[in-house]
Amino acid sequence: MTAIFIDLTTVLHRTVSNGYGDLVTRPTGQAVRTGVEEDLAFLDTTTVAIIDFTSVRCLDFSCADEIVGKLLLTHGNTRYFLLHGVTEIHGEAIHAVLERYGIAVVAQQRDGEVQVLGPVSDAIRKTVSILTREGTITVEDVAGHLAIPAAHARETLDEVIERRLALTHADDRVSSLA
Amino acid sequence: MTRLVEVPTRFDDRTFDQFARSCGEPGDERLLIDAHTSQWASPFGLLGLLTAGQWIKEKQLPRPLFNIPSDREVAHYWARTGFFEFAQEYFELHGRVPRAASGSTDALLDVTPVRGTADVHLVVGHVQDRSAAILAEVGLEPQATLGFAMALSEGCQNIVEHAGTGGWVAVQAYNWKRRLGRRVVMIAVADAGVGFRQSLQSSQAERWGDRWGDAAALEAAVFQGMSRFPDPGRGQGLAGMRRYVERWDGKLSLRSGTARLSIVPSWDPDDPIEDRLPPFPGAQVLVIIPGKKDVESGGR
Repeated sequence: MTAIFIDLTTVLHRTVSNGYGDLVTRPTGQAVRTGVEEDLAFLDTTTVAIIDFTSVRCLDFSCADEIVGKLLLTHGNTRYFLLHGVTEIHGEAIHAVLERYGIAVVAQQRDGEVQVLGPVSDAIRKTVSILTREGTITVEDVAGHLAIPAAHARETLDEVIERRLALTHADDRVSSLA
Repeated sequence: MTRLVEVPTRFDDRTFDQFARSCGEPGDERLLIDAHTSQWASPFGLLGLLTAGQWIKEKQLPRPLFNIPSDREVAHYWARTGFFEFAQEYFELHGRVPRAASGSTDALLDVTPVRGTADVHLVVGHVQDRSAAILAEVGLEPQATLGFAMALSEGCQNIVEHAGTGGWVAVQAYNWKRRLGRRVVMIAVADAGVGFRQSLQSSQAERWGDRWGDAAALEAAVFQGMSRFPDPGRGQGLAGMRRYVERWDGKLSLRSGTARLSIVPSWDPDDPIEDRLPPFPGAQVLVIIPGKKDVESGGR
């Protein structure tokens, strides 16, 4: 697995203004998303794009929508994304935005905790949690940890894979994005 | 002919309707806006005055006269908030305008114009830079302070995206000993633009039928996340502000046209929805977030 960090503050300074420190307003969000897409153009689709919020102070709903919502809506079916360094407040805005679109993303908070933002079932949320803890898992691991039949575990893991919340391997193992 | 418009002695969100009623529908007569007896004005009140002035100027009506407060301390404070700097564009000021450098108050954000996205960045950046001061002064929890900037941004963007004209923002902390026993921080945002009803008219009026009006428009925006844009990603800002104030036991109040919708915490006696109020142009937004600290002394 290869991964690349895309620092949003760097993109903000490059695309909008050096003087700004916050991701606010819709035109700013649109410009930053375009900047992220320029960076993505250099990456193959197996690379995990780690969208780095570590140095972001304020993220409003317009920017959450433009930078995360519309980015995932456009590229979420073909690329892997991990949000990194999000705060609880960032997470709330991103979750609200993703709920409208019915899409989800894995996010790592500044304290290291990993969570799924967006509407997903409890089983998906728990599976991503197991993945984060174990690193790599199989269907049997999911069935064991969640105490569910293998067929149900298969369905759950398939959905995790389909929604690009984890990476798959040729030997049917599944790895965490975080 | 000149018509008198009285500014309430204590001018804030609770006396705003009194001012709106006195303003009425300005016509060809010249208004005399009389703040002579003013003792105090909240940011919401000061922005209301500027909004009235802006509206009258944009309608190309006669430039109103404006009697400044006779109390020198009050007039000085208004000057330090930056009020007169902007008011002189809209009013013929009468009385001695104090010489006071704006920005020298203890306000978290003095009266600041919002005309474009650069202004929103400026305002949010300023408050972020002062977030430590907000924490110390009011006793907001760190998470509440972070969300405060978001709420401020959404309030300002409402002007940029929907008003069709410029507007104003101000942020102040108060010692609400009698009303709440705690310190509070207050955001006031106001514009003289098209208002919620006109903004949502084309997308919502048919759906609401006979119920359509200022109150319905506010309800559609705040509770249903409706926007004039068809993009499903739009219309989330006010809903986000609502969640923010609910989480921190705060108050959100939006006045537009003849209606006011409020997210009312247990400590506030306001009605959630008020209709048939005296008409006033544009939209006025008020956010009040209480701190954790109990007030030992002082008062509003």
